[in-house]
Amino acid sequence: MFEPRIVCFFCKWCTYAGADLAGTSRKQYPPNGVVVRVNCTGRIDPQHVLWAFREGADGVLVGGCHPGDCHYEEGNHKTMRRVQFLKRTLEDVGIDPERLQLDWISAAEGEKLVHVMSDFVDTIKELGSLELGLKEQEKVA
Amino acid sequence: MKIPYYPGCTLHERARDFDTSARECALALGVELEELAIWTCCGAVYPLVTDSVMDVLAGVRNLSYASRLGDKVVTLCSFCYNVLKRCNNVMRDDEDKRDKTNLFLRADTEARKKVESYTHEDYEGQVEVLHYIEMLRDVVGYDKVASAVTKKLEGLKVAPYYGCMLLRPKNEMKFDDPEQPTIFEEFLETLGCEAVDFPMKTECCGGFQVVNDEELAVSCSQNVVVSALKRNADIIVTTCPLCRYNLDRHQEKMAERVKGFSRVPVVYFTQLLGIALGIDKKHLDFTDNSVDPLPVLAEKSLF
Amino acid sequence: MEERIGVFVCHCGTNIAGVVDVKRVAEELADYPGVAYSTDYTYMCSDPGQNLVKDAIKKHNLTGVIVAACSPTLHEATFRRAGMTAGMNQYQVEIANIREQCSWVHQGDKEAATSKAIRTIKVMIEKARLDEALEPISVPMTPRALVVGGGIAGIQAALDVANAGHEVILVEKSASIGGHMAQLSETFPTLDCSQCIMTPKMVEVAQHPKIRLMTYSEVDDVSGYVGNFKVKIRKKAAYVNRDVCTGCGLCVEKCPAKTPSEFDEQLADRKAIYTPFPQAVPNKPVLDAEHCTYFLKDGKCGICAKVCPLDCIDYEQKDEFIEEEVGAIIVATGYDLYPIENLGEYGGGKYADVITSLQFERMLSASGPTGGEVLRPSDGEVPSEVVFLTCCGSRDTENHLPYCSKICCMYLTKHAMLYRHKVHDGQAYVFYMDVRTGGKGYEEFYTRAAEEDDVLYIRGKVSKIFEEDGRVMVWGVDTLSGRKIEIAADMAVLGLATVPNEAAAKLASMLKIHTDEWGFLSEAHPKLRPVESLTPGFYLAGSAQGPKDIPESVAQASAAASKVAALFAETEYHREPVIAVIDEDTCAGCRVCISVCPYDAAEFDDEKKVARIKEAICEGCGACIAACPSGSAQQKNLTDEQLYKMVSAALEV
Repeated sequence: MFEPRIVCFFCKWCTYAGADLAGTSRKQYPPNGVVVRVNCTGRIDPQHVLWAFREGADGVLVGGCHPGDCHYEEGNHKTMRRVQFLKRTLEDVGIDPERLQLDWISAAEGEKLVHVMSDFVDTIKELGSLELGLKEQEKVA
Repeated sequence: MKIPYYPGCTLHERARDFDTSARECALALGVELEELAIWTCCGAVYPLVTDSVMDVLAGVRNLSYASRLGDKVVTLCSFCYNVLKRCNNVMRDDEDKRDKTNLFLRADTEARKKVESYTHEDYEGQVEVLHYIEMLRDVVGYDKVASAVTKKLEGLKVAPYYGCMLLRPKNEMKFDDPEQPTIFEEFLETLGCEAVDFPMKTECCGGFQVVNDEELAVSCSQNVVVSALKRNADIIVTTCPLCRYNLDRHQEKMAERVKGFSRVPVVYFTQLLGIALGIDKKHLDFTDNSVDPLPVLAEKSLF
Repeated sequence: MEERIGVFVCHCGTNIAGVVDVKRVAEELADYPGVAYSTDYTYMCSDPGQNLVKDAIKKHNLTGVIVAACSPTLHEATFRRAGMTAGMNQYQVEIANIREQCSWVHQGDKEAATSKAIRTIKVMIEKARLDEALEPISVPMTPRALVVGGGIAGIQAALDVANAGHEVILVEKSASIGGHMAQLSETFPTLDCSQCIMTPKMVEVAQHPKIRLMTYSEVDDVSGYVGNFKVKIRKKAAYVNRDVCTGCGLCVEKCPAKTPSEFDEQLADRKAIYTPFPQAVPNKPVLDAEHCTYFLKDGKCGICAKVCPLDCIDYEQKDEFIEEEVGAIIVATGYDLYPIENLGEYGGGKYADVITSLQFERMLSASGPTGGEVLRPSDGEVPSEVVFLTCCGSRDTENHLPYCSKICCMYLTKHAMLYRHKVHDGQAYVFYMDVRTGGKGYEEFYTRAAEEDDVLYIRGKVSKIFEEDGRVMVWGVDTLSGRKIEIAADMAVLGLATVPNEAAAKLASMLKIHTDEWGFLSEAHPKLRPVESLTPGFYLAGSAQGPKDIPESVAQASAAASKVAALFAETEYHREPVIAVIDEDTCAGCRVCISVCPYDAAEFDDEKKVARIKEAICEGCGACIAACPSGSAQQKNLTDEQLYKMVSAALEV
């Protein structure tokens, strides 16, 4: 059974707190994602996402505050634009853009986090393992 | 404009007056109700069991037929509307049931092919189920209805009876506010008559309980009729053949029970619409009523 | 220098250890590069647990510490303090969250949870490997508090902060402080008069030398951070020079324009120029332009200006904006009733004799529109049967709100009791789902209503209310006897659900403080930090945080005030130093950072032609870092290098 490896970039104000709420409510979701906590999704450089895929991620989930709720005014807007652009780049290099997902999950939305996480894992399972062949290339080199 | 139309069994039998008046009114408003080429009974009652898909099959089959004709289906009877809309919600929202139901539909394709020219296509809830009055408001538009009115029903006090099936459950039907609906009142204002606000307009008429327990049906419908009478309604309009039956046929018994009871005619809303639009009287057919509406209509110089 | 990192895996009793194989985690990580010490313990946050961490720091000369335990929002501060006492820099102590985001959410798969815990800890080890020793940034503290909302919670908070010796600005949107408590008649369970205990406090606020009271004002904008907020307050045009006005009331008396009174819940009229109620503080009128003849009819009227002996009326007055600096903000915006319009089953407000609980309060109040008499609004008759309904909108998952509004059981009991005291032969019915009487003396109060005042409690919900023959017909069910009930009553009182005041939503989004899905302000921790927001510098008091009765609101207000007083005890505030920094050697001076910074914290050095971050202003959002094309902007202790390594660790097989 293919178990996808997923990196989750969560902003500490909203989605990380939402994930904590899912925990305190004992909601269950698949354990495929490992969370990297950032202050704001606006901190995330597209390079970080590409790096994640290079390092073997099958999917990258970015979770931030709802539009208008960003703790830093508009960091999430910046992310929204970057992610859209990045999805195109991913397509160009042969990575299904669905492997990168951005969602708004507030600190009150433990339930939503569970859905987003579960659905994303399902999506990635359907897409299958991401084979970039980088390791083989390195070996040849 | 053609819109797929699901009449349902009753409109082909006991409620022919409802069917013809609705079709004629629609034509006058530029809409041709295109009856589904194949249709069956909707099942009449939406099942409350949650672990079976058999009970939604009949409804879904009809929706699937409708989907061959267009993206909407219009119906008139409150029961049909309730069942079709809720079956459609299942097909839209419940992935598991959707898949199972489609498997059933696929499985009976062969059997049905012998009698019908029918090929299977998966149905996913894409058809929008509309009640006729929603069609008037949202597709035709009340403005257009108003401008097509040739005879304003002035001076007529009409009690709009919604019954229960159109409105509930509210999260599924999304028809109107289940406690304080207004779609009928707005419709009646469009025709130029006065809508009577009576608190029992959303209470149950007794429905099909009339088959098992007539007493119960009489007391339920009496509650509705008396409430409308108290507020001086000249006439009650309804949208459901069963409501019409209960409110109309039991008035003999009501007269025996309620002191000073005066009978009040119960007609379909499409019949009133027909009068306002100047439809030929033969299509409106007021012959099936226990309480004859003609005297009241004549008194107001409407018929 | 080679890192020497310590890993401390907490069992949290069985909370973590019941799912995650903590022994295996500690053992596996002992072999991870850079880890000098790895262990597990039952309760790492306990004293012995903390000592274990401290001893290990000293013994193994650790350069970094990872505590794998609950969410960092809970104990990051605890362990950073522990690290400091052991001589370590606090910013080299990190938390790996293996409870909320691991053991609690993957209870069915111990193997996968254990493996995720290991990777989660590795992520933090990679971070700690490159964490620098940092010192908190000290910023000066402005020891002045802003309290938003002048109900009982806001009043109490303002008084307590002021009595601790600090300046307070109290902002209230209506013309007087007092809030809903000023509208109440008597209070449960003692039945002492609300106004009598409230008005002295209101006066105290007005006269307190440390409190600056700003009524008819709203918070327009807030910027800055704890210790150094800048607030912009909009003083709404009152068209009355309230500094000069003596409150003689002549203008009010002569004003010809009337409109329903908000204070009297539409049961009586007020004038267009008005003080909300006789005991208002300040007792000076405001002019409501929306209903004023002068404004509606192009200057025809002007009677108030003519009669004012001090020429206070100024039709040209405009909204005024006042900017202030404060160090802390207490939000006490209070509640509203769930709109009666939403309850179509009870008429949705179309029946005159079906009234809200606050309307009934006004009716019971001796200074209310009926002078304390219970009278039907439709015909002014004394009602001989009154039905009280609890849970109107509350505890109704399908149609309305799922939560319990907490106060309705008690105030409806009070209503029924007071009605019986005023109308001795009247019959009071209370429909209830459960009578919730959690509070000192509350159960006894309820028993008294049922037994001594013969209030009839019916366990069941009301399905429909309508008018018939001039009476209010109530259809319900008695679930104890299983019978349907029909009551032909004279009046019905709806115990409408408590919802957050509409101002709260606007304010919460302006202040960037969280709310729950119903709009109540979220506390930092449901048990241990109930009066603070997660965002430093914001404190919560009263019903803005959740339905509350008076004693609870007062207690929370005092608690919030004591938090503020503790904050103000320091003259400096220490901010997290995890902010942006720009490498001047590689910066090309493109100024992208300046354009993306939401705080104007990035500035351009014209001499060196490079950008620079203003330490005191930077909030550490990282927008400039992600935008910097040359990688010259970095976040302290969350550099790109750290992030890359953390991502790699998250993906280790």
